[in-house]
Amino acid sequence: MLASILASGLAVGAVYALIGITYNTMFATSRVMSFTAGQLGMLGGVLGSLFILRLGLPVLPGLVLTLAACALLGVVTEIVAVRPVLKSLDQHLYVLSTLALALMIQHTAALEWSTEPQPFPRLIGLGEGIWEEKYWLPVAACAATILGLEYLYRRTLVGRAFVAIAEDNYAARALGLPERNLRMASYALAGAIGALAGFAGGQLLLAFFANGPLLNFYGFIPVALGGLGNNRGAVIGGLALGLFQQAANFLVGGIFSSVAVFTLFILVLLAAPQGLFGAAAARRV
Amino acid sequence: MPISAAEALLEVRGLRAGHGKIAVLHGVDLTIHAGEVVSLLGPNGAGKTTLLAAISGLLPWGGGGVRFAGQDMAGAGPRESARRGLVHVVEGHRVFTQISVADNLELAGYDLPRRERAGRIEEALAFFPEIAAKRHERGGALSGGQQQMLAVAQGLVRRPRLLMLDEPSAGLSPVLVDRVLGVVAQLRAAGTAVLLVEQLIEKALAVSDRVYALAQGRIVLEARADEADLPHRLERAYFGQDVPTPLHA
Amino acid sequence: MGVTDTAAPALKLPAAPSALARLLPFLGLLAGALLLPFSGNDYWALIATRACIYWVLVSGLNLIVGYAGQLAIGYVAILALGAYTASVLAAGNVLPALPSFAALGCAGLVGAVFGVVVGLPALRLRTFYFAMTTLGFATIVTQIALAWQDVTGGGIGIPGPEMPAPLDTPWGYYLFCLGAAALCTWLTANIAGSRFGRALVAVRDAEVAAEACGVAKPRLLVQVFLLAGALAGIAGGLFATLQSYITPDAFTFDLSLLFFIAVLIGGRGSILGPLLGTILLTLLPEVAAPLAAWSTFLYAALLLVIVLAIPGGIAALLDFRSRRALPEGRAVQPRPEALATLLGHHREARGAIELRGVVLAFGAVRAIDGLDLDLRPGEVHGLIGPNGSGKTTTLNVISGYYRPQQGSLTLAGAPLPAGRPALRAPQGIARTFQTPRLVGEATVLQNVMVGATVEGRSTFLEALFQLPRQRREEREMEARARLALAAAGLAGLADVRADRLQHSELRFMEIARALMLRPAFLMLDEPAAGLATEEIKRLGALIRAIAAQGTGVLLVEHHADLIFDICDRVTVLNLGRELAAGTPAEIRTHKEVVSAYLGG
Repeated sequence: MLASILASGLAVGAVYALIGITYNTMFATSRVMSFTAGQLGMLGGVLGSLFILRLGLPVLPGLVLTLAACALLGVVTEIVAVRPVLKSLDQHLYVLSTLALALMIQHTAALEWSTEPQPFPRLIGLGEGIWEEKYWLPVAACAATILGLEYLYRRTLVGRAFVAIAEDNYAARALGLPERNLRMASYALAGAIGALAGFAGGQLLLAFFANGPLLNFYGFIPVALGGLGNNRGAVIGGLALGLFQQAANFLVGGIFSSVAVFTLFILVLLAAPQGLFGAAAARRV
Repeated sequence: MPISAAEALLEVRGLRAGHGKIAVLHGVDLTIHAGEVVSLLGPNGAGKTTLLAAISGLLPWGGGGVRFAGQDMAGAGPRESARRGLVHVVEGHRVFTQISVADNLELAGYDLPRRERAGRIEEALAFFPEIAAKRHERGGALSGGQQQMLAVAQGLVRRPRLLMLDEPSAGLSPVLVDRVLGVVAQLRAAGTAVLLVEQLIEKALAVSDRVYALAQGRIVLEARADEADLPHRLERAYFGQDVPTPLHA
Repeated sequence: MGVTDTAAPALKLPAAPSALARLLPFLGLLAGALLLPFSGNDYWALIATRACIYWVLVSGLNLIVGYAGQLAIGYVAILALGAYTASVLAAGNVLPALPSFAALGCAGLVGAVFGVVVGLPALRLRTFYFAMTTLGFATIVTQIALAWQDVTGGGIGIPGPEMPAPLDTPWGYYLFCLGAAALCTWLTANIAGSRFGRALVAVRDAEVAAEACGVAKPRLLVQVFLLAGALAGIAGGLFATLQSYITPDAFTFDLSLLFFIAVLIGGRGSILGPLLGTILLTLLPEVAAPLAAWSTFLYAALLLVIVLAIPGGIAALLDFRSRRALPEGRAVQPRPEALATLLGHHREARGAIELRGVVLAFGAVRAIDGLDLDLRPGEVHGLIGPNGSGKTTTLNVISGYYRPQQGSLTLAGAPLPAGRPALRAPQGIARTFQTPRLVGEATVLQNVMVGATVEGRSTFLEALFQLPRQRREEREMEARARLALAAAGLAGLADVRADRLQHSELRFMEIARALMLRPAFLMLDEPAAGLATEEIKRLGALIRAIAAQGTGVLLVEHHADLIFDICDRVTVLNLGRELAAGTPAEIRTHKEVVSAYLGG
């Protein structure tokens, strides 16, 4: 039982962590927490199933198309729901605009795809039992994403520009960095990461439109625990959440595991509003 | 459009700008010629930082206009300004603390062709041997003075025709102030124009050709840097008694 | 009283609409609703009852979303809780069966409790967290309703409570729910129009200023969460009866969205707007049946359009008054003579505010480095110095935003608690801000009235039911606010939306708000910034007149001429330390000051 708790806990935890990274990637360049993060994860599953099962494409083109579609959606998010409200960030209009867009995505998926969970294809067919691919794929995807992001942020000019904008938007603009294009690029990147989360976790979560709000919430918890913008915190928080949730599932049953997660979330937030790994925010006077 | 030798490098006419409803600049006129070092002085809250931000396109204008090298700068953001050679080093040595000194400079050359970047970085570092030695350290590991040098070096990577420095001496020890202002003299010798916002009047005057004084969002004084009795006239201009008529050369 | 007259005769503004004119749309809606039973169409009874029940919930949610600006997007969860509580208690499958009305009351109680539980994160955290918490709560309540079969009947569901005659007919029940809706309109409008409503809006748009006015945010929000939760719980009970049978499917997130969007379509800070929004969104799927499947998509699209294009919602569209142009070239004409009446009975300062050896460091930077400062009643004390010399930081220490690492801060010998800004107003310490902090959507009068929040004695319940003490207090506060506005020279603009004022007028409005407290000490943070020369002169005269009433004024300013004109004493700061202190004449000739201030 311990092994299956570990396997499924790490697997869903990796999906949550990836959604957390999706939030962070958008947040870094725009200071906006976007409700579309979970929907991107949902679309990763739905589009993967659409391209591979329904349209019969091979796995790799299916993956590439899924990531590309979600990257495009990321750019659309930036243009439609983020850019127009950036001027008045303190009014929190982005909460409403991204929520509206997220709901439009979710509802379109429900009506045009299906309101019932649909199967997601086996991709590789390697391993069985607790080593089945549906358990290790999300973990592998998460690891690959982290390595990729580390490379991007540490070794490439564009990545450093992301870091610079995240640290000091004004100074970055003064320096002549193309802040708007970089922001769009980061939204595209976030779209692809969210899609990867849903694609890798597809066999676990299925292609289901209602995964959107679920991933929104469970992907946000690691961000809240780890501190906004902190990817390392999101990964630790995501894996911890996955393990906790699955353990509670096995031990006390589904209802009470949700209650336990929710209660823990509120308690931790009240005790450590900046997250467990976050830095204290500056005073606003 | 041909640029005649007599035409000013930077021409600011009737510029108005502010933050939201608060008007800070009430019609500023200012001219800088190629290769000239100009100090912009004025008490706190006069609008010096706002003026620089408006010129470089970081802040939208409420009226008036800016021409640089014969081109209208309306609608040009900081990126476009930097491309044309109008570079703004903002106050408070805001370098990026998470990445290395070399990366900070590389970012300043983001728009440059890849093969030119390394050369430009070396060129900028040549002004500041003390940070060249620390090129692999994180920006956050530098002292305040070194960060200020790095910020100036970032501006130099673009080989500006006009470099705008906002309080480069703030928070620096006297030795470092001389070091940074020494670079201004070097730039002047090399033919780069500089618009310098400074609190240390005497040090600023020492490296400048001309000065403007800004008070309450208006230019209240324009003079050559070597004119006699300047500090006294500045004081009178700031404290709002019988504002002297701006001397237009 | 002559001073409340409009200062400049040229300034003629439309008066605020009378109470009757404001009531008219509500009475019209009520009359229409009362006529509905004559249609005899039972289907309409169902739809109209549903609209009434939704409004019971939305009216409370409106206080949270529209007034307090807290984005509670999962309020369907409390509707579900109320519905299940009422149904389970009335059905008696867990406890002995309760009468329907008792079950309804319990639903309200449960709703109130969970309203607070879900709201807790809003007391400390950023907006997005609260939105997420309510979303998560909504998800979990549905999951529990599905899984806890013994109690909720799981997916099969449970019958709703049945109402006794004469409420068991469609029209009987409709009239009952209409009564509840009308009552909720009255109750929430009472809160909205009271000091609680003004404080909610102030917390939303100008939290720091609200704190300085002594608004205790946690207590205020908990009261509103209790009320909104109770209303949502009751709405749930009513909803269960209307549905006659409830399953978890009845409480989809779409419904939550409807409630939330009804408020936003209606417009923030309005009662009528969200009421119309609720009616509109309830009717929409009925009118446009072919689009019913896409209704959620349409709601979401509508939300996006509203956020991007008409952030004011229906209320802004209906606000014809605010579209009329204000007269050009108005001048602020303060009337210091009004101060005698306003500040005549102000709290006597028992002594001076004293800072001794205050040190405040941010990281390695010492923003204040061992400062002594005395602020005496009846004196104007100027604080000047270069940028970053610690002027505003000093002001923030006195007003309790920062907690110094060393040194003492006392008022008349008694320590002032550090880091507790909301505790300054009760001590008679008021302040203004470098950038005016105000509620743009509220009128100038309402903005100013926030200044005296701490003096309100009537409770939330008294405000809810408009009891006599509450009404008396409101009248007194309004009279005082008009007096403060007259003193600050804005009498003619009292009923104008604050965001229509010019910058200089806002500066004077902040002073009027601070004067509402009848302060013993008044701290002004660069009040002359952005003012024209003539306005600065009037400001100076006003400040002198305030000090003449015995109020101690601390003036942080860049305009040296103003400082030297009106101050009794001046302290010059440099690098967080006192560079010089003395009379303006002494400072004016102080060699070091001239050089530091000019940067020589």
